[in-house]
Amino acid sequence: MDKSLSLVHVKLLAFDLLSLAQSPTNPPTFSRDGASLSRAEALGVVVSREHKPDRFLKFAVDDGTGCVPCVLWLNHATSPYFARQRPQGVRLIADMANGQASLVKLGSVARVRGRITSYRGAVQITVSSVAAERDPNAEVLHWLDCLKLARRVYGRPRS
Amino acid sequence: MASSGPAVGSGAPVPLEELRPPSPLFADGASLRVLGKLQEYSVETTVAIIVDAGASLKIDTQHLRDLHFRVGSIYQFIGELQVQPDNEAVLRARVGRNVDGLDLNLYYQSLQLVRQFQAERTRYQST
Repeated sequence: MDKSLSLVHVKLLAFDLLSLAQSPTNPPTFSRDGASLSRAEALGVVVSREHKPDRFLKFAVDDGTGCVPCVLWLNHATSPYFARQRPQGVRLIADMANGQASLVKLGSVARVRGRITSYRGAVQITVSSVAAERDPNAEVLHWLDCLKLARRVYGRPRS
Repeated sequence: MASSGPAVGSGAPVPLEELRPPSPLFADGASLRVLGKLQEYSVETTVAIIVDAGASLKIDTQHLRDLHFRVGSIYQFIGELQVQPDNEAVLRARVGRNVDGLDLNLYYQSLQLVRQFQAERTRYQST
């Protein structure tokens, strides 16, 4: 399976991202038309937001073709993974994550990048970075990027 | 249009002029994304009226927070349509934002392209 796309944050429309093929393995791997993907970029209006301080920020972005569930982990202080690392470094990562969490506001547009993961069988993004997009044309440009990349780079659909 | 996330579905973008029978999007409960220029807004009723290309739509904004309404600005709303028996419709907005500066031509042309792409992919994935 072609692995080159798994190295980049693949820009995908929500309906495309949510219909990726999932392998039955645990954890599942994701693919689109035979190309293996592991990271994605989504852009849309934040339509739901659930914040549990020091645990996570769960939110969904709606780009007009679907709603992508996203999770930004904020549990650095209690996570066994971070317990093995230097506290100052963990502090920096936690501050950055919390800063990004505050950018995610209901009704605003967010550009989300992260790993494609699965929760209860459904595709979601585990956020590595999220940024607010103020330019109203950003969404439209993202749509066009997704179309162009899907047609020219990710493989052509048989019609 | 189906969502695998929270309870409500994704708002399907639809130009106001398309939002009337017999369009399948003109249905009670349909999750939609609309935009238009704010023609009037009532603070008492919290109903806004947006217009675009000769068509207009009432928006129920009572659930929106932190949105400043300015007549003449362009707004985008995502929410559910409520259709009354006489075909009067109001969009109950969940979120809204000012989109002044949006290139409307580009928006509508791109929307067409996205719809075509979605149709192609759906056909492809069912074969």
